[in-house]
Amino acid sequence: MNSPDADAPLVERAKSGDKTAFEMLVVKYQRRIERLIGRMVRDVDLVPDIAQETFIRAYRALPQFRGDSAFYTWLYRIAVNTAKKSLMELKRDPLVTEAARAGRDDDDDDRRPDSEPSDAATPDAVLASKQIAAAVNFAVEALSEELRQAITLREIEGLSYEEIAALMNCPIGTVRSRIFRAREAIAARLRPLLDTREGDRW
Amino acid sequence: MAMDAFDESAKERLSALADGELDGIEPGSACAAWARNAAVREDWHAWHLIGDVLRSEDLASDPGRDRQLCAAIRARLQQEPVVLAPGALAAPRRARWTVGAAVAAGCVLVVGTFAVLRPSDGTAPAVAVQGERAPVATVAAVEPSMAISASTVPPSPAANEAVVADVRLIRDAQLDRYLAAHKQFAGSSALGVPSAFLRSATVDTAPR
Repeated sequence: MNSPDADAPLVERAKSGDKTAFEMLVVKYQRRIERLIGRMVRDVDLVPDIAQETFIRAYRALPQFRGDSAFYTWLYRIAVNTAKKSLMELKRDPLVTEAARAGRDDDDDDRRPDSEPSDAATPDAVLASKQIAAAVNFAVEALSEELRQAITLREIEGLSYEEIAALMNCPIGTVRSRIFRAREAIAARLRPLLDTREGDRW
Repeated sequence: MAMDAFDESAKERLSALADGELDGIEPGSACAAWARNAAVREDWHAWHLIGDVLRSEDLASDPGRDRQLCAAIRARLQQEPVVLAPGALAAPRRARWTVGAAVAAGCVLVVGTFAVLRPSDGTAPAVAVQGERAPVATVAAVEPSMAISASTVPPSPAANEAVVADVRLIRDAQLDRYLAAHKQFAGSSALGVPSAFLRSATVDTAPR
């Protein structure tokens, strides 16, 4: 079955010259891409730079993207190639750190070996992540049955609005509205945790 | 400059855009709102963080980190030349077939027209068939579908000549005005060969 790519509207817009559309896709995929790169490159300090490089290379390669695969699949490949390229360049660098040189395995799980705490791994950052995860779970539990089912079917099961409408036996417009309201409710609980500090706005 | 109100229905459309379920609505205004409005950007980020966390808790990240990466990428994007590669992404197979059929139909029309209107000396073509004269009516500017059936004028069984019909072009008044304005094309005799401009077709009527 060939379901249409949910990213198609934004990708087409980006291909037509709208950089904003591409930025919106960055926000969508940055966490997944950083996690992927983090698995390939042990030195977590390198991750943001490689992620940045990945997205810029993807932007430049947009004309070559024709929709033969899903956008994320294509982006994933670019991330892997960018990470490998960075690792090769690091190998040639005499100042490369032990951690970076060791980062050639990509079959490990999400745990990182004990190393110097970096941005991602400081106790504060770890705590912030845990708090966010807890807040999301708590907020989902607090939703009404309908809203919880709608957001779960969409985000976890990956069903389309049409499929969800069939499952929940309601119109597609209702599905759309329920997913939206679920998002609003969860985001409201997250807001205190996500609040921007001075000078650090979206 | 007043901030455009990004009301509930616009927000709901943004939510649908996050799922690729805009159902034909162009994302342009959502993108413009995202660019101008920090609250819209915060919502977009929060919703996608929520989706990621629901699927996998290890994607819960320090939001400051997300913001920093996006800011860095935005700055670099500003340096990049604008990518222009419009044109729809690979269409589903069904749509491609439809396009192909329409192109094929157009080809048959043009080819059929050429076969029927073959002027001998630049004047309005008229060739008599041996023996009988097949009465024909002509219609200008027809739909391709009509033209397909019409343009396949059966070749005379007896003849080695390809052209069968006495053809008159009934000209479209609007087309005439257009052609008059573009004087180089005035009068079909100026065109040695009928062009696709002058869409015409012949329809066989049953001989009385």
